[in-house]
Amino acid sequence: MDRNQITKWLKAPAKMANKYSLHAVYFCTGCGIIEVPPVITARWDAERFGVIPVATPRQANLFLITGYVSVKTLRAIIRTYEQMYEPKYTVGFGSCPINGGMYWDSYNTIKHLDKYIPIDGWIAGCMPRPEAIFVAVTHLWTLIDKGMADGYIRYRENYKYYRRNQQMALGKLEWPPLYSLDDGPEGNKQ
Amino acid sequence: MNKSLKEKLEATFKDIQTTVPEDSRVAVTARSDSVPTVLRFLKDLGFDHLALVSAVDWIEEDVFELCFVLTSYMQNDDEVTGREKLHVILKTRIPRERPQFKTATGIFPNAEPYEREIHELFGIDFEGHRRLTPLFLEREYEIPPFRKDFDTRKYVEDVFGNVPSVEDNK
Repeated sequence: MDRNQITKWLKAPAKMANKYSLHAVYFCTGCGIIEVPPVITARWDAERFGVIPVATPRQANLFLITGYVSVKTLRAIIRTYEQMYEPKYTVGFGSCPINGGMYWDSYNTIKHLDKYIPIDGWIAGCMPRPEAIFVAVTHLWTLIDKGMADGYIRYRENYKYYRRNQQMALGKLEWPPLYSLDDGPEGNKQ
Repeated sequence: MNKSLKEKLEATFKDIQTTVPEDSRVAVTARSDSVPTVLRFLKDLGFDHLALVSAVDWIEEDVFELCFVLTSYMQNDDEVTGREKLHVILKTRIPRERPQFKTATGIFPNAEPYEREIHELFGIDFEGHRRLTPLFLEREYEIPPFRKDFDTRKYVEDVFGNVPSVEDNK
């Protein structure tokens, strides 16, 4: 263990444990998923950074969205994201989730993913190298340390707007709202 | 093989044009009502694999062109015969107004998903197709999105450009 981090461990053990055990939900969308098998296996070995893929969103706290998001995939992404336990972090991988990328004028591709679910970090590029995932993970550690990886909190607080945007893209949503849609004095703040 | 196939086709059918653009390709252009007969004839000749059904929108000529790509698994196979595999592309044109065509699923059952896709993306109706239900698309489009008069940029601005960002609402 890194002796320099002992004070951090003593101050906020839960945060540190979260940080070093990022479990990525193995969710494939678009072409970026082709970078993930080398990342998690022997060539780049994401377990050096504490990142391993898990089978179900209910065991995961890191969501890598690895490529263009079609309207149909957006539905699956929202349902997957809502099943994950908090604290949960999302990272958009590649140009397409950021602004559509090369599908900027496609009739069936979501252009700005952060309008529909909160994103904690972006990896730009088409395609990013596997090393970029590790750069993103180390950046995510910094963000978690500083309490800036707050996507799940923003999702709860602004759930009304996220849900409205989701309805604009998908039409009627066939699942119930995750949080209250009322405008209470405190909203959904904890 | 392709020379004799060309002769066979031209001897059997009067109203088709056959060209041989390459050694291993035969292109057949037929009228839309004779397509099922030609498909059946080619299948009986040993072209038992329908590799693709595709559509092209020729908006200036006001027609849709349907393409059936046929090849075979065993006959004409280079490992069996020592020759390069022979592909037949069968093209036909149908009017763009109220496009209708007879389904090929009776001859090649695997035409079903291709025809569903063309129905969804080009709006061509296939008579006799059992399941012309949506395949890929999530939402309704006024004009099927693969037609040339579908303005994708305007559509994207209208649909995705209007979604406000969440930060704007704070």
